[in-house]
Parts: sequence; structure tokens; C-alpha cells
Amino acid sequence: MSLRREVREVQIVQVLAYGILLGGMYALLASGVTLIFGVLDVVNVAQGAFLVMSALFTWQVWSVTGIEPLLLIPVNAALLFVIGWIIYRGMVARVAPQGPSMTVLLMFGIALVIEGTLNLVFGNKFKSVTPEYFTWSVKIGDIVLPVPQLISGVLAIAILGLIYVFLRVSWAGRAVRATAQNREGAALVGISHKTASALAFGIGAATAGAGGVLLSIMYPVYPATQYDWIARLLGIIVLGGLGSIPGAVAGSLLLGVMEAFAVTYVPQWSTLFFYGTILAILVFRPQGLMGSVTREDVV
Amino acid sequence: MRNRLKSPRVFVPLGLLLLLGLYPLVPDSQYEQSVLITCLLFAIMASGWNLISGMAGYVSLGHSVYLGIGMYTGAIAATRWGWDPFYLAPLGALVAGVVALLIGLVVLRTRAHAFVIITIAVLLSFQLLSANLKQFTGGTEGLTLGAPGWPEEWGNTPYFYMFYAILLLTLALAAYLMSSRLGAGLVAIRNDEGKAASIGVNTTVYKTIANVLSALPFGAAGVIYGQYLSFVNPSGAFSILTSVYLVLAALVGGRGTLWGPVLGGFIVALANEGATVAAGGVSARVLIMGLVLVLTVMFLPAGLLPTLTGLMTRRRASRSTVKYIDQAAIARHDSHLDITSLISRGAGQRDTGTAVLEVRDVVKRFGGVRAVDGVSLTVERGSITGLIGPNGSGKTTLFNCLTGTVRPDKGTVLLDGEDVTSDKVWTRAHGGLGRTFQVTRLFRSMTVLDNLVAPLERTSARQMVAGRYSGEEVDRARDILGFMGLQDFEKQNAAALSFGQQKLVELAQVLMLRPSVVLLDEPASGINPTLIEKLTKVIRQLNEAGTTVLIVEHNIPLVLGLCDTVHVLAGGKILTSGTPDVIRNDPLVIEAYLGPDHLLEAPRG
Repeated sequence: MSLRREVREVQIVQVLAYGILLGGMYALLASGVTLIFGVLDVVNVAQGAFLVMSALFTWQVWSVTGIEPLLLIPVNAALLFVIGWIIYRGMVARVAPQGPSMTVLLMFGIALVIEGTLNLVFGNKFKSVTPEYFTWSVKIGDIVLPVPQLISGVLAIAILGLIYVFLRVSWAGRAVRATAQNREGAALVGISHKTASALAFGIGAATAGAGGVLLSIMYPVYPATQYDWIARLLGIIVLGGLGSIPGAVAGSLLLGVMEAFAVTYVPQWSTLFFYGTILAILVFRPQGLMGSVTREDVV
Repeated sequence: MRNRLKSPRVFVPLGLLLLLGLYPLVPDSQYEQSVLITCLLFAIMASGWNLISGMAGYVSLGHSVYLGIGMYTGAIAATRWGWDPFYLAPLGALVAGVVALLIGLVVLRTRAHAFVIITIAVLLSFQLLSANLKQFTGGTEGLTLGAPGWPEEWGNTPYFYMFYAILLLTLALAAYLMSSRLGAGLVAIRNDEGKAASIGVNTTVYKTIANVLSALPFGAAGVIYGQYLSFVNPSGAFSILTSVYLVLAALVGGRGTLWGPVLGGFIVALANEGATVAAGGVSARVLIMGLVLVLTVMFLPAGLLPTLTGLMTRRRASRSTVKYIDQAAIARHDSHLDITSLISRGAGQRDTGTAVLEVRDVVKRFGGVRAVDGVSLTVERGSITGLIGPNGSGKTTLFNCLTGTVRPDKGTVLLDGEDVTSDKVWTRAHGGLGRTFQVTRLFRSMTVLDNLVAPLERTSARQMVAGRYSGEEVDRARDILGFMGLQDFEKQNAAALSFGQQKLVELAQVLMLRPSVVLLDEPASGINPTLIEKLTKVIRQLNEAGTTVLIVEHNIPLVLGLCDTVHVLAGGKILTSGTPDVIRNDPLVIEAYLGPDHLLEAPRG
């Protein structure tokens, strides 16, 4: 009997560890979305498409050259940073004065263009990147973790840490945060909000660039999986409170763990469980876990 | 009505729609009919979406969920009790409406962003739900429906007329909504939600009703569409691509207009048919629709119909004479209208000397800053009370605690003796608290008259269904405009007015609430001296008519000249209170404003 309880406990710890790793991945991607929202008031529904684009690009390079896919993290992050910057300067900045309801439609259109293009280039089939450690797992104490999940989770958290440090320490990072808090105020002290916004947009997209590489060694990917990711990421940031990075991290970890448990114990309902949790929390806290009701008398 | 029919904007689209109804009489038109059925379906969906996303500005990217709910409702009911559109279509609408109600109650309490995000999640949730609830839905295999039960030679013609009927009903609903108070409230929400709440619009109820109404056409059309396809499965019923089509349709045609979504529905359905014939597969269509969406948002954001009518009116306007309205005339204007009857609640004036507004020990912190730090004050009924203090002293935060946009961390706010600390903004407006804003917040896309009929003294079903310009409100609105000297502006768009004029209109708007106390946030800032004079006169007249006034203002001479009592706020606390004479000579006040070394010359007697 005690043995059975022990087994159960080990399983719970195992699922918990797995959930935290998954949550780390979500946290990286969701932070990108919430950063863009916080600075620009734009709901980036194309994050899922950016992510899938990066994953499929990784697959292409890996299947042609066979290089270690993780080496592509900086490459893809840089690539998506540039794409994000261009999309912001060329499109979003023009539509932004018409308000968030138009920019969300713009981003949705961009997501569809990316999905359609990827479909035509890669076809509507699952692709997975399978380096030799793809099937390995490691044993830490009593728990067993698959190596790809471990790598992805740990790297995701590390990259997120880097971004956090960048935003805290560097001048550019502080400019981005200043713009998020008060655009006019930031402009008055010499911060170009266009540059700060483009930077935020680029960083947001870059998280999808890095995340896409991590995703490619975890799950098979095809273009239409972007929808699962948009819904998930946006759900997380609604849950965490729009615009709040700590909120996005908290929401990610919470939902990562819940999803891991749901996958283990009620597999077919796991995704619904995910959305159900979000709706249930919104009933009690409409502004999300760490969101605040903003003051709006000063326009 | 007869006059309205003469306008080409009404009879042209209506005539075209009626002509379309004759189309099935054309022989050998089965293919064309099936294309037109898709057009009708898109037009129905775009028109339905328009009610929440076009009018209230709450964009939904997952609205096709209600079509899927209609399809499954119809299919599940049909496999049990047989298919009959006459009771199944209303049933589909009902089920879709109930789901929209539940979703709305959860999501629509917050502002726009969470809504758009949740709509996508809801659509995908229903896709999963329908795949998993195998005993009802047949899982991913879906449900197959039998023949519709009419003679084969009728072909698809009955479907055509069913969709046609649903479209007519949807348009009737939309037209009615647009002319109603509820519609005016929704447009107000789209323009400025916080402002709408401050003039008594219960935004949660309004948005939820709009969401439910917008789901009804989807539910009914879904029942018909499922049978038309004779097959219902999760990925087909809850397709995100359908949502894209309908959003695109409303956008291309012109969201917020009556006929725009219909026009857009036809354009998108025909373009989609063309893309399918020319390019084939889904991938190409996703790409093409994505491109069209991006281009529309970037280059035709208002949509075809508003852009075209905009061009037409501009041409016409340049031909008509523009009436010049002179500022000074407004300022000189003296009204002999009896303002008391226009703005009093009719319950008779209550005793002066009691508190109409009372604040007890209110504390509000922002992080470590105690913006308001234990303030207690009363606003006596019938008084003009001033609230002054240097920048950053907590005036605006206190103001926001009074109106309900900010909830104090501690303390109570009493309005007419009742605790309103946790009441919503609109409940306080209904309770007799009106406010204006430092930077005016009129509904810029609405006319001056529309701005004045938007305020609501209470949330009631009768108010909502009433026509925009019906009842005593519209007469009262015109009289109040007359009182302000603004009668010639009634048809102007609010955005066209000068800042000073906007301030007067905003005050007029607040008076529509028959407020017992009006909070004026820096009424004199940014307007010229002539209008300040006019404003002062109006405030005095209102006060004589029994309205209590609380003014936050930096124009000290104005405050001291106008107010009976003045409270001075500094560092989040009340520094001193008293009559203007007392305040004028209080060294503490002078120091708070100017610092200890202000005296450049000796004070004069």
C-alpha cells in the first residue's frame, strides 16, 4: 500500500516537473505577446504563425544540413526580430492610429498570409525535427524526463531571463518599458516611441523565433497548428493580465502544470480543460491574475 | 417613412434585395443559385457580426462558433425528431443566443482586448467539444442528414428562400437596433466606453445584449446550412476560416453600417468562389483571404460603402451653404427657458444644508504613493463647492473615487446619504452624479443631438427599445441645447466643434441625467475668456435651479469668485477648508501653491 502511494507521489512530481517545463515554453512565447501588447496596445494574434514559421524553417535547415537544431536559436531569433521590425514599421505603425480593433484584424491577416505561404511551401503535413537525443530521457532521482522537453523548458526559461535582464538593465530596455508606461512622457524625455515600439515588436517576434526552434524538437508541426498556439498564448496572457510579464509567466506555469495533469489523467479533455480554466478564472477576476484596472481620465 | 423611402440610400439597396428574391424564377440556374446561397449566408453572418463588432466595436474573431452551434442543434434535433426549419431555425437561434449570453457574461465585463482573444478560444473549444461528445455529435466523423423532404425538382430553391428570409429578418433587426436607444448606446460604447458608463450606460448589459442579438442570425442560419450541406462535422462547423470570411465581408462592405455587411458578404462570397475555381485548394484561399484582409485594413479601413457615401456627401456638402456660427453669439445668448424643470428630478428640492456628496476617510494608493491619504469632506446640497490644490495633490484621484472609475482602498463615498463606494460608474450616474472631463470626451462620430440623447437616467428595457429620437428626452435635449445657446449645432458632428463648444455640449449632456450634483473637472482650462464667462453664468444658473456643483479648477480667481466653500488639497490630504475669503488669505494655501519664498512684493491690503 505504501509502495502504491509512493508510486503515485512520484508520478505527481513527475507530472509537475513536466508541467513546469511546458510552462517555461509557454512563458517565453506569451511574454513576447504581452510585451507587444503592453508597449503598443496591439494584440499579436500572429505569434502562433511566427512560431510555426520558425519551427518549419528549423526543420528545413536541419533536414538539409543535419546540423544541431539548437544552434539555430540565435539565427531564428534574429530573423524573426527583423521580420517583426519590418512588419511594425511597414504595417502596424500605419494602422495603429485606428485603434486596437483594426490592428488585431491586421495581425490576423498577416497570420493567414504566413499560414497560406507555409502551406504552399511545406505542404499540409506534420514535420518533426528528430536529432539523436529526440528519444532520450534522463532520470533525476525517481523521476524520468524526456530530454527534448528538458532542453526546451530550461532554454526557454533561460532566454526569458535574458530578455528580462535586457529590459531591466539596458538603456533600450528601459526605453521600451518607459514607452509601455507612458508614451507621451517617454517622448518628452527623448525616447522615440516608434523605435521603442519597433524594438518591442521585434523582441516579441524574436521570442517566437527562439521558441519555434524549441518547439520543433518537441512536437511535430504543420502550418495550421498556429491556431492552437494563438488560442493558448492569448489565453495565457488574458489569464495573467494583459500587458503584465510576471502575469504571463504565472499564467504560463499555472496552465502548463494543469495541462500536464490533464494530459496524464484526462487526455482527451486536456485542451478543453485549459480553456475552461481560463474562463473560470475570468469569472472571478475579469482583469486577469495580475492585470490592473487602468486609470483613463487622462487621455 | 414614406419620405425615407424616397432617399436613394434606402430604396436602391432595398430594391436590389427584392429583385434578388426573384432570382430563382430564372430557369436552369442551379449553379448560380448555389453561389447566391453562399452569398446570402455570408451576408447574414456579416450583418449579425456587425451588431456587436461593428456597432459596439468589440471585434470577434470566432463568431462562426454560433453558426456551428446552429448546425449541430439542427443536426442533433433532426436525427431524433426529423428536420423542419419552422421550429428548428428558431431553436438554433435560441441555443446560439443562450451560449452567447453565457460567454458574454464572462468576457464582456472587461474591455475589448480580452473579448477578441476569448472568441478564438471559444471557437476552438467548441470544435474540441463537438469532437469529444461522441454520443451526441458522432465525434470527428460527424452527423449525416437525410433528404430535406420536399420534391426533388425544387432543388435548392427552398434553401435560397430560407436564407433570404433570415437575411431580411437580420436586416430588420439591425435597422431597428440602429434607430433605437440601445443602438445609440452601443455606438457610444464604441466611441468611448468609459465616458458611456459615466453618463449612465450600463455597458456590461448593453454589450451582452448586442452579443446575444448578433448570435441569433447565426444560429438560425446554421440549422439551414447544416441541412443544405447534409453533413455536419467539427472542423466544418467550427471553422476559423468561416470567421475570417465573415469578418472580411463586414470590413470590406463597411462595418457599423446597415448595408455594408450585405454588400461585403456578396463580394467576399463571389471572390471566394472565383478563388476556388481559379486557384483550387484551401492553402491558396487562406493566402488570398489573408492578403485581402491585410490590404483592406491598410487601405480601405472604413469599408466600401462608407467611403463611397463619404465621397458623395463631400461633393454635396461643397455645394450647400455652410452656416457660419459665431462664438460671441453663443456667449451673449441669454435663454429664457425654465431650466429648473429641464434638469430637476421633479421630486421637489430637498433641504439645503444636508450633504449631497460625502467622503469619509478615503485612501487610494498607487504602489507606494498615497495619492489620496485619508480625505473626508462634504459637499452641501445647493452649494457650489471648489476643490483646489497644486499639481499632484490628489484632486483627480479623489474625483475618480467619487465617480467610481477608481475604487478607494479604504473609506466610503456617500451619494444622497447612500453608500455608493462599490457601485458601478453607471449606477452612480443613475443616482444623480454627473461629471465632465478635463479633456472633453464627447462621442466624436455622433451628432450633438445624438450625444445628448445617449445619457440614460436608468437601465430599463423600455428605454433601450425606444427610438433614438422618441419620447420627452429629445425635446428636453433640444431645450437644454437652447438654454446653452447651442441650438444651431444639433446636427453637427461632435468632432467638428471647437474645444470650448465641446465643453458646453458635454455639460449639456450631463444635465440630461437630471443630476443632483455635477462634478466639473477643470471646466475653464483651455477655453477662451468669453466662453469662460459664459460657462460661469451657466454654472450660476444651474446652481440657482437647484443643482449642486463641485469644481476642480486651477483658475483660482474663477473658483474663489464662484464657490461658497473651497477645499484645498495638498499631498493627498485636506490642507484647509473654508469660504473663499478665508482661503485667499491662508498662508498655508499660499505656501502649498507657491512655496515659502513666493513673496516678490509686499501683499496688498
